[in-house]
Amino acid sequence: MKFNKSFCTKIFISGIGLLMLLISNITLAQDSTPASVNSPTIEVSSASDTMWLGISYNVLIFLLVCIIIAVVGRILKIYDLTLQMQSKKAMDWNKIMSFGFGLFLIVGLYGAYWEYTVQGSMILPDAASKHGVAIDEMFNATLIITTIVFVGTQIMLFGFAFIYRGSQLRKAHFLPHNNTIEKLWTIVPAIVLTILVVFGSLTWKSIMDVPVSEQKSALNVDVTAHQFAWEVRYPGKDGKLGLKNSKLYSSNNKVGVDFKDKNSYDDLTADEIVVPVDKPVRVNLIAQDVIHSFYLPWFRVQINAVPGLPTFFQFTPTITTDAMRTKTDNPNFEYKLYCNKICGGNHFNMQKVFRVVSVAEYRDWLSKQKPYLNDQLRKELKMAVQTENSANKNKLAFNKI
Amino acid sequence: MNQSAVDKEKINFQPKKFNLWLFMITSFMLFAAFTSGFIVYTQGSADKGIKIILPHAFIYSTIVIVLSSFTMYLSFRSAKRLQFDKQKQFLWFTLILGVGFFFLQFYAWTVLVKMGVYLINPNASQSFIYIFTGVHLVHIIAGIILLINSLVGSYKNSPQVKNLFRLEMASIFWHFVDILWIYLYVFLLLNQQ
Amino acid sequence: METALIVNNSASVHRQEVNGHDEHHHHETFLTKYVFSQDHKMIAKQFLITGIIMGVIAMILSVLFRIQLAYPNTAFPFLQTLLGRFAPEGRLDPNFYLSLVTIHGTIMVFFVLTAGLSGTFSNLLIPLQLGARDMASPFLNMLSYWFFFTACVIMLSSFFVQKGPASGGWTIYPPLSALPKAMPGSEMGMSLWLASMVLFVASQLMGGINYISTVLNMRTKGMDLWKMPLTIWGFFLTAILGVLSFPVLVAGVVLLVFDRSMGTSFYLSDIVLNGAVLPNEGGSPILFEHLFWFLGHPEVYIVIMPAMGIASEVMAVNSRKPIFGYHAMVYSLIGITVLSFIVWGHHMFVTGMNPFIGGVFMITTLIIAVPSAVKTFNWLATLWRGNIRFTPAMMFAIGLVSFFISGGLTGIFLGNAALDINLHDTYFVVAHFHLVMGSAAIFGMLAGVYHWFPKMFGRLMDEKLGYLHFWLTFIGAYLVFFPMHFMGLDGVPRRYYAFTEFESMKQWLSVNTFITWAAIMSALAQVAFLFNFFYSIFYGKKATQNPWNANTLEWTTPVERIHGNWPGEIPTVYRWSYDYSKPGHDQDFIPQTVPFSQTMTSNLPHDFEDDPDVEKLQTEWLKQNSQEVK
Ligand code: HEM
Ligand SMILES: [Cu+2]
Ligand SMILES: [Cu+2]
Repeated sequence: MKFNKSFCTKIFISGIGLLMLLISNITLAQDSTPASVNSPTIEVSSASDTMWLGISYNVLIFLLVCIIIAVVGRILKIYDLTLQMQSKKAMDWNKIMSFGFGLFLIVGLYGAYWEYTVQGSMILPDAASKHGVAIDEMFNATLIITTIVFVGTQIMLFGFAFIYRGSQLRKAHFLPHNNTIEKLWTIVPAIVLTILVVFGSLTWKSIMDVPVSEQKSALNVDVTAHQFAWEVRYPGKDGKLGLKNSKLYSSNNKVGVDFKDKNSYDDLTADEIVVPVDKPVRVNLIAQDVIHSFYLPWFRVQINAVPGLPTFFQFTPTITTDAMRTKTDNPNFEYKLYCNKICGGNHFNMQKVFRVVSVAEYRDWLSKQKPYLNDQLRKELKMAVQTENSANKNKLAFNKI
Repeated sequence: MNQSAVDKEKINFQPKKFNLWLFMITSFMLFAAFTSGFIVYTQGSADKGIKIILPHAFIYSTIVIVLSSFTMYLSFRSAKRLQFDKQKQFLWFTLILGVGFFFLQFYAWTVLVKMGVYLINPNASQSFIYIFTGVHLVHIIAGIILLINSLVGSYKNSPQVKNLFRLEMASIFWHFVDILWIYLYVFLLLNQQ
Repeated sequence: METALIVNNSASVHRQEVNGHDEHHHHETFLTKYVFSQDHKMIAKQFLITGIIMGVIAMILSVLFRIQLAYPNTAFPFLQTLLGRFAPEGRLDPNFYLSLVTIHGTIMVFFVLTAGLSGTFSNLLIPLQLGARDMASPFLNMLSYWFFFTACVIMLSSFFVQKGPASGGWTIYPPLSALPKAMPGSEMGMSLWLASMVLFVASQLMGGINYISTVLNMRTKGMDLWKMPLTIWGFFLTAILGVLSFPVLVAGVVLLVFDRSMGTSFYLSDIVLNGAVLPNEGGSPILFEHLFWFLGHPEVYIVIMPAMGIASEVMAVNSRKPIFGYHAMVYSLIGITVLSFIVWGHHMFVTGMNPFIGGVFMITTLIIAVPSAVKTFNWLATLWRGNIRFTPAMMFAIGLVSFFISGGLTGIFLGNAALDINLHDTYFVVAHFHLVMGSAAIFGMLAGVYHWFPKMFGRLMDEKLGYLHFWLTFIGAYLVFFPMHFMGLDGVPRRYYAFTEFESMKQWLSVNTFITWAAIMSALAQVAFLFNFFYSIFYGKKATQNPWNANTLEWTTPVERIHGNWPGEIPTVYRWSYDYSKPGHDQDFIPQTVPFSQTMTSNLPHDFEDDPDVEKLQTEWLKQNSQEVK
């Protein structure tokens, strides 16, 4: 008790001291700000001065808060003691805490509701791909089920905490187990999860397990990931992409196309990924250095790009960029390709524009793309340099569409 | 040392032996992980796999380590029968065979290198051979240290319970590294070519 | 006095065996008592305090990177003063941002929530709640701590190497972690990370072996497995998980080390880095992911199961009610233990794995949600019609349940492979695991600290400060992690240094600022805890022997916390640890050491299932009593 008292006074004294320090500091800070504005020559030193001022200002505020808390704590204690001395009931912290939980339940549920409505409206728009619609349905079903469970269990948790707060007058209900209800809440979640698994598996299989025949009819786009960019290659008029071999890398042959494979001669290179709407696209991926991830959130598309291990994702975009612009009411909207696997310092900025256009626009765009096998590369490979206009040939490269 | 103190120590041995068994489980898990890794890797494509016939050196080393397990058993049996000279003798045999195994594995590596099977290898299935044997050799070193410990102990005049306990720990572990090697060898044999 | 002598004697037997010395007396010097202590309670405290310090460090790291996310375009001169070359001109370097994230994750998952949590409470409670004088091998136990300590030192020392600490994420996927040239953190920092983790695993294995062995061999008389408190079940199964899964991480790390420094190609293939073609061929980065997640998924349960055990115990004690469905609780823990070994693939749905295998992992993953659900409902039923006493420990336990629900439910989205396509590696995952693992496990740990503080230091922590700490942390954690779900649903990827480069992410900037301030608030709230903790060690209110009126054995030991735990004989156990508010008994708790013969008024037929003698006694007693009534 003795110690407590001295502690109390110590806190008060040091509190007052700190307050004075704070006040003087604030006035000093006001002094120094105009000074640094007037004389830019001493900016360097004053920058560090203001920095330290800012820090000590924040520290002081924090200490002040601590002191206030300590003082409030003391006052509460004294109040409590006087209550007891007047032989009234002491403060019932148990009750206060149970009300805290009750309050938290109400505010928390409102908060969750607020988040669902306000931030829930900031999330991705409806899927812009065929399979994405299935994913969204799955998501909504799961969301409804989990939200019901979430609300129900949180109400029970905090509700029980509120209702069954302790009291000397009462004894708890001795209930070690109840097999019926335990079976119930094992079996019901099991059934619900089974339903989710069954539908989930079907959806998953329909997305990832594309039949070979459908794979063959898709437009192939070849994407090579490296730190921190995506290289895009389209098949030429033969509709076939030439093979790659990373060992053949050179500064002119960035993705290591193997020109022993004749299919590669007419391949095209592009600065952005453009695909026609409503046609299946098969994106073939590989990484050159570390793992990257090809992520197109609007289409619910994601697949890792792994060095040494080719992967692919096949999907059918259904909403063109233009349609999305009107839909989202944002004239500058672009679908973007994100890198979604940590890959180094610039991971956060490894992007590419992904455009969905009408078939006609796509043909037009493709005809303007340059051949991968450009003159420099030909020189390097000691091939004959072609002089004819290659754009002409590309016009025919829509076989699969 | 009075009787009750001896009893106490004996009681205290039980959890230690248990600890050893648990340790063996962890190191088994380590090798299980390596072999599973091997399987996952090797099934990655058709050009992976061991692709060679394992050198004969591994057969010799297998014989040596099985023999050493046998001498270890004899040593422990002698100790239980209070034939301490025999205990020491067989312990020496075990130790020598253990060291022999160590060098045979080294020799096997040189043979592998001569066959063109390197550690640094585009077919990492082959690199795995080095990993298996290498990490196993680390265990052999630990086993040899245990053997030396009980050998040194057997020359000291320590109480029989203690002597037996030390020997038992060493022998359990030694049989374990033996079985581990057989597991690895059989695993490699099943996957060769 | 004679008994004390025996204790002393047995201690010296340990010591003698360990050191091979022949001295029969032992003096406790400062070094043997506080530093190289072999007493499980001291080791527990060492783990706890090291864990707390590491936790504070990791928390500061998180505040640093949160500042970057909140104010991506602002320069903070103090960052440069603090971090030097890692924050040139007061702006965090992108690579260093990743280092912060990586080391934050590693420290929190491994050093705080694995070693700090299991290390503290397994060491403290296994001998105390089972009635043992110490661990099976006190020496191994001491080594375990010192390996852990060394691992901490090495991990932190990586901040002082030229290129900075490891920065490939706590999952250190190769090739990023295998190629020193791939990012600065993959040079020396990564080597230190690997060295630290190997020591850490060694420490955990030593600890785990000890826990299992103690639980199985050293229980006091009458303490059969089905009388053990749920805490012990949690620690025991956690240790089994650790012993089986940590070696697998070592296997993965060994291969990684070979790839890094020997030039092998286990994980590397077809790599062109900064314009140079590397010779490596044929490796598979996915192999590492398999090995990592075979540990990694059990690891997340290693983190949560001790917390679950602690919460169960604390909730039963403070609801003054038996834990509801004790057997179901144990079986669901066992179920989680077994299942957690076959679900690792759910972290790899989008690696291009065979869709069929993905489907299998999806099934196993959603099965594991069933035992988790059972546990939750049982906790709720424990509160139902209780007589709840809101100690700070109880509040944290309730908080744990709330977080576990919120975070567990999002697991159901992620476990669905089809949904994971769009959610993988977004902030949705960040929200999921910070709630279900991060917040829930930390709350379990804090509940344990508040609850067993008297057993560690003989004093009580201040209750009011505990309340303050709870509310600020609880609200803060929800404010931080709840909005992250929606960022994830907007496709915002995790581990991004700034959300300024994509038009679509800019709408989240204000939310990020808000989250950062909430995080700063909860970080500052920890000052209340730290002050309370360290102040109470020295000046807290003196605790009585059984301050919470609990049933378990640790509260039968003297407040002085002596070596060997009990001055006399170790008590015998007669009943389970959850006889709270039993009808017919005058008090609302019956310690495990009270035989049924002393509680005739409250015994239930169910109590005698395995003891016919007592049953006979009881029937006779009942006969007598009913005659008296007549
Ligand atoms: C209800 C059962 C649960 C299910 C179905 C579930 C499912 C999942 C899935 C599928 C992922 C991978 C997400 C992704 O990366 O795309 C994940 C991530 C994670 N989960 Fe859970 N989870 C559950 C409970 C838990 C629990 C209890 C913990 C920890 C105590 C936990 C900790 C984690 C962690 C740490 C990650 C992220 C790892 C990382 O990528 O860094 N989860 N969870
Ligand atoms: Cu990336
Ligand atoms: Cu997992």
